Amino acid sequence: MSAEFSGGPEHSALSELLDLSMPADAEAIGAVVDSISETLAQLEVPEQKRFEVALAVQEALANAVVHGCGNDRSKQVRCRLKSDPQGRIVIIVTDPGPGFSPDLQRDPKQSENLYADHGRGVYLIRQLMDEVHFERSGSEILMWKY
Amino acid sequence: MGPAVDGLRQAIQEAVGGGDTRIVLNLAEVPMIDSSGIGLLVRFLASTKQLGGNIKLVQPNKYAIQTLRLVGVLNLFEIFDNDDAAVDSFA
Repeated sequence: MSAEFSGGPEHSALSELLDLSMPADAEAIGAVVDSISETLAQLEVPEQKRFEVALAVQEALANAVVHGCGNDRSKQVRCRLKSDPQGRIVIIVTDPGPGFSPDLQRDPKQSENLYADHGRGVYLIRQLMDEVHFERSGSEILMWKY
Repeated sequence: MGPAVDGLRQAIQEAVGGGDTRIVLNLAEVPMIDSSGIGLLVRFLASTKQLGGNIKLVQPNKYAIQTLRLVGVLNLFEIFDNDDAAVDSFA
Protein backbone atom coordinates (compact mmCIF):
# COMPACT_ATOMS: atom_id res chain seq x y z
CA MET A 1 0.00 0.00 0.00
CA SER A 2 1.44 3.37 -0.99
CA ALA A 3 0.38 6.89 -0.19
CA GLU A 4 1.49 10.46 -0.65
CA PHE A 5 2.04 12.05 2.72
CA SER A 6 2.81 15.51 3.98
CA GLY A 7 4.74 16.39 7.10
CA GLY A 8 8.21 15.36 6.11
CA PRO A 9 10.36 14.74 3.07
CA GLU A 10 8.33 16.12 0.20
CA HIS A 11 6.34 13.88 -2.09
CA SER A 12 7.72 10.65 -0.73
CA ALA A 13 5.87 7.50 -1.74
CA LEU A 14 5.35 5.69 1.53
CA SER A 15 4.71 2.03 2.15
CA GLU A 16 2.62 1.20 5.17
CA LEU A 17 4.25 -1.36 7.46
CA LEU A 18 1.93 -1.20 10.47
CA ASP A 19 -1.38 0.42 11.31
CA LEU A 20 -2.28 -0.13 14.96
CA SER A 21 -4.94 1.24 17.25
CA MET A 22 -4.90 1.01 21.03
CA PRO A 23 -7.13 2.16 23.88
CA ALA A 24 -5.93 5.25 25.70
CA ASP A 25 -4.44 3.19 28.50
CA ALA A 26 -0.85 3.39 29.68
CA GLU A 27 -0.74 -0.39 29.94
CA ALA A 28 -1.45 -0.70 26.21
CA ILE A 29 1.61 1.30 25.17
CA GLY A 30 4.17 -1.46 25.62
CA ALA A 31 2.58 -3.82 23.10
CA VAL A 32 2.53 -1.15 20.40
CA VAL A 33 6.15 -0.19 21.07
CA ASP A 34 7.11 -3.88 20.94
CA SER A 35 5.31 -4.35 17.61
CA ILE A 36 7.19 -1.46 16.06
CA SER A 37 10.52 -2.65 17.45
CA GLU A 38 9.92 -6.17 16.14
CA THR A 39 9.04 -4.85 12.69
CA LEU A 40 12.20 -2.73 12.64
CA ALA A 41 14.24 -5.72 13.73
CA GLN A 42 12.82 -7.72 10.82
CA LEU A 43 13.94 -4.87 8.57
CA GLU A 44 17.43 -5.23 10.10
CA VAL A 45 17.37 -1.73 11.54
CA PRO A 46 20.38 -1.46 13.92
CA GLU A 47 19.75 -1.81 17.65
CA GLN A 48 20.75 1.76 18.50
CA LYS A 49 18.27 3.15 16.00
CA ARG A 50 15.57 0.75 17.19
CA PHE A 51 16.06 2.00 20.73
CA GLU A 52 15.78 5.63 19.67
CA VAL A 53 12.59 4.95 17.72
CA ALA A 54 11.11 2.84 20.54
CA LEU A 55 11.65 5.54 23.14
CA ALA A 56 10.29 8.26 20.86
CA VAL A 57 7.18 6.16 20.15
CA GLN A 58 6.77 5.46 23.86
CA GLU A 59 6.84 9.20 24.56
CA ALA A 60 4.45 10.04 21.74
CA LEU A 61 1.96 7.38 22.82
CA ALA A 62 2.20 8.49 26.44
CA ASN A 63 1.45 12.07 25.40
CA ALA A 64 -1.48 10.87 23.31
CA VAL A 65 -2.91 8.80 26.17
CA VAL A 66 -2.47 11.42 28.88
CA HIS A 67 -2.92 14.73 27.09
CA GLY A 68 -4.80 13.74 23.95
CA CYS A 69 -7.25 11.36 25.58
CA GLY A 70 -7.20 12.36 29.24
CA ASN A 71 -6.52 8.72 30.17
CA ASP A 72 -10.01 7.85 28.92
CA ARG A 73 -9.59 4.28 27.73
CA SER A 74 -12.80 4.47 25.72
CA LYS A 75 -10.80 6.66 23.31
CA GLN A 76 -8.41 5.29 20.72
CA VAL A 77 -4.85 6.22 19.77
CA ARG A 78 -3.65 5.30 16.29
CA CYS A 79 -0.03 4.49 15.50
CA ARG A 80 1.26 3.90 11.98
CA LEU A 81 4.69 2.88 10.74
CA LYS A 82 5.64 3.67 7.14
CA SER A 83 8.80 3.64 5.09
CA ASP A 84 9.90 5.35 1.91
CA PRO A 85 11.96 3.92 -0.97
CA GLN A 86 15.15 5.32 0.60
CA GLY A 87 14.59 3.20 3.70
CA ARG A 88 13.62 6.14 5.87
CA ILE A 89 10.84 5.42 8.32
CA VAL A 90 8.12 7.57 9.77
CA ILE A 91 5.91 6.83 12.75
CA ILE A 92 2.64 8.72 12.95
CA VAL A 93 0.76 8.87 16.25
CA THR A 94 -2.73 10.35 16.18
CA ASP A 95 -5.07 11.05 19.08
CA PRO A 96 -8.63 12.46 19.13
CA GLY A 97 -7.75 15.36 21.40
CA PRO A 98 -7.71 19.10 20.67
CA GLY A 99 -3.93 19.18 20.20
CA PHE A 100 -1.39 21.48 21.79
CA SER A 101 1.31 24.00 20.93
CA PRO A 102 4.63 22.17 20.76
CA ASP A 103 6.54 25.44 20.39
CA LEU A 104 5.49 26.38 23.92
CA GLN A 105 7.40 23.48 25.41
CA ARG A 106 10.05 24.54 27.91
CA ASP A 107 13.69 23.50 27.74
CA PRO A 108 14.14 20.72 30.32
CA LYS A 109 17.91 21.33 30.43
CA GLN A 110 17.49 24.80 31.87
CA SER A 111 18.62 24.77 35.49
CA GLU A 112 15.20 25.78 36.80
CA ASN A 113 13.64 22.76 35.05
CA LEU A 114 16.17 20.05 35.91
CA TYR A 115 14.19 18.72 38.86
CA ALA A 116 10.76 19.04 37.24
CA ASP A 117 8.72 15.84 37.27
CA HIS A 118 7.31 16.37 33.76
CA GLY A 119 7.93 18.28 30.54
CA ARG A 120 10.61 16.17 28.86
CA GLY A 121 8.61 14.03 26.43
CA VAL A 122 8.51 16.24 23.33
CA TYR A 123 12.08 17.37 23.94
CA LEU A 124 13.22 13.75 24.03
CA ILE A 125 11.34 12.94 20.83
CA ARG A 126 13.06 15.84 19.04
CA GLN A 127 16.45 14.65 20.29
CA LEU A 128 15.92 11.02 19.33
CA MET A 129 14.40 11.44 15.87
CA ASP A 130 15.80 13.09 12.73
CA GLU A 131 12.73 15.12 11.89
CA VAL A 132 9.52 15.80 13.83
CA HIS A 133 6.35 17.48 12.59
CA PHE A 134 3.05 18.18 14.26
CA GLU A 135 -0.20 18.17 12.30
CA ARG A 136 -3.87 18.61 13.19
CA SER A 137 -3.11 21.35 15.74
CA GLY A 138 -0.71 19.03 17.52
CA SER A 139 -2.95 15.99 17.86
CA GLU A 140 -0.85 14.15 15.29
CA ILE A 141 2.91 13.77 15.41
CA LEU A 142 5.08 12.54 12.55
CA MET A 143 8.49 11.28 13.60
CA TRP A 144 11.07 10.54 10.92
CA LYS A 145 14.15 8.37 11.29
CA TYR A 146 16.65 8.24 8.45
CA MET B 1 5.08 5.12 32.27
CA GLY B 2 2.42 2.83 33.62
CA PRO B 3 2.83 -0.01 36.11
CA ALA B 4 6.62 0.09 36.21
CA VAL B 5 6.74 3.75 37.18
CA ASP B 6 3.79 3.34 39.56
CA GLY B 7 5.56 0.47 41.30
CA LEU B 8 8.79 2.41 41.65
CA ARG B 9 6.93 5.46 42.94
CA GLN B 10 5.20 3.39 45.58
CA ALA B 11 8.42 1.66 46.63
CA ILE B 12 10.32 4.92 47.04
CA GLN B 13 7.41 6.61 48.81
CA GLU B 14 7.26 3.74 51.29
CA ALA B 15 11.01 3.87 51.87
CA VAL B 16 11.05 7.63 52.39
CA GLY B 17 7.89 7.44 54.51
CA GLY B 18 9.65 4.87 56.69
CA GLY B 19 12.59 7.20 57.18
CA ASP B 20 14.93 5.63 54.60
CA THR B 21 16.20 8.50 52.51
CA ARG B 22 19.44 6.88 51.36
CA ILE B 23 18.29 4.85 48.39
CA VAL B 24 20.13 2.59 45.94
CA LEU B 25 18.35 1.78 42.68
CA ASN B 26 19.69 -1.14 40.68
CA LEU B 27 18.75 -0.52 37.05
CA ALA B 28 20.48 -3.56 35.54
CA GLU B 29 17.19 -5.09 34.43
CA VAL B 30 15.70 -1.83 33.18
CA PRO B 31 15.89 -1.77 29.37
CA MET B 32 14.65 1.78 28.90
CA ILE B 33 13.84 4.88 30.97
CA ASP B 34 11.20 7.22 29.63
CA SER B 35 10.41 10.79 30.60
CA SER B 36 7.94 9.77 33.30
CA GLY B 37 10.59 7.58 34.90
CA ILE B 38 13.12 10.39 34.71
CA GLY B 39 10.61 12.79 36.26
CA LEU B 40 10.10 10.36 39.11
CA LEU B 41 13.83 9.91 39.69
CA VAL B 42 14.67 13.61 39.78
CA ARG B 43 11.69 14.46 41.96
CA PHE B 44 12.66 11.87 44.55
CA LEU B 45 16.33 12.81 44.20
CA ALA B 46 15.41 16.35 45.20
CA SER B 47 13.18 15.27 48.07
CA THR B 48 15.64 12.74 49.52
CA LYS B 49 18.48 15.27 49.31
CA GLN B 50 16.36 17.78 51.22
CA LEU B 51 16.09 15.14 53.94
CA GLY B 52 19.83 14.51 53.99
CA GLY B 53 19.70 11.43 51.77
CA ASN B 54 20.31 10.64 48.13
CA ILE B 55 19.35 8.29 45.29
CA LYS B 56 22.25 6.40 43.74
CA LEU B 57 22.00 4.41 40.52
CA VAL B 58 23.59 1.02 39.89
CA GLN B 59 24.32 -0.46 36.46
CA PRO B 60 22.12 1.64 34.23
CA ASN B 61 22.51 0.33 30.68
CA LYS B 62 23.93 2.47 27.87
CA TYR B 63 20.47 3.48 26.72
CA ALA B 64 19.42 4.66 30.16
CA ILE B 65 22.63 6.68 30.41
CA GLN B 66 22.06 8.12 26.94
CA THR B 67 18.53 9.14 27.86
CA LEU B 68 19.53 10.72 31.16
CA ARG B 69 22.28 12.62 29.34
CA LEU B 70 19.92 13.79 26.57
CA VAL B 71 17.68 15.57 29.05
CA GLY B 72 20.58 16.96 31.05
CA VAL B 73 20.13 15.09 34.32
CA LEU B 74 22.87 12.45 34.14
CA ASN B 75 25.24 14.56 36.22
CA LEU B 76 22.70 14.89 39.00
CA PHE B 77 23.18 11.21 39.88
CA GLU B 78 26.06 9.18 41.24
CA ILE B 79 26.40 5.94 39.29
CA PHE B 80 28.00 2.71 40.48
CA ASP B 81 28.98 -0.64 39.00
CA ASN B 82 27.51 -2.69 41.85
CA ASP B 83 25.17 -2.46 44.83
CA ASP B 84 27.92 -2.75 47.44
CA ALA B 85 29.83 0.20 46.07
CA ALA B 86 26.67 2.30 46.05
CA VAL B 87 25.79 1.31 49.62
CA ASP B 88 29.35 1.91 50.83
CA SER B 89 29.28 5.39 49.31
CA PHE B 90 26.74 6.38 51.95
CA ALA B 91 29.13 5.53 54.79
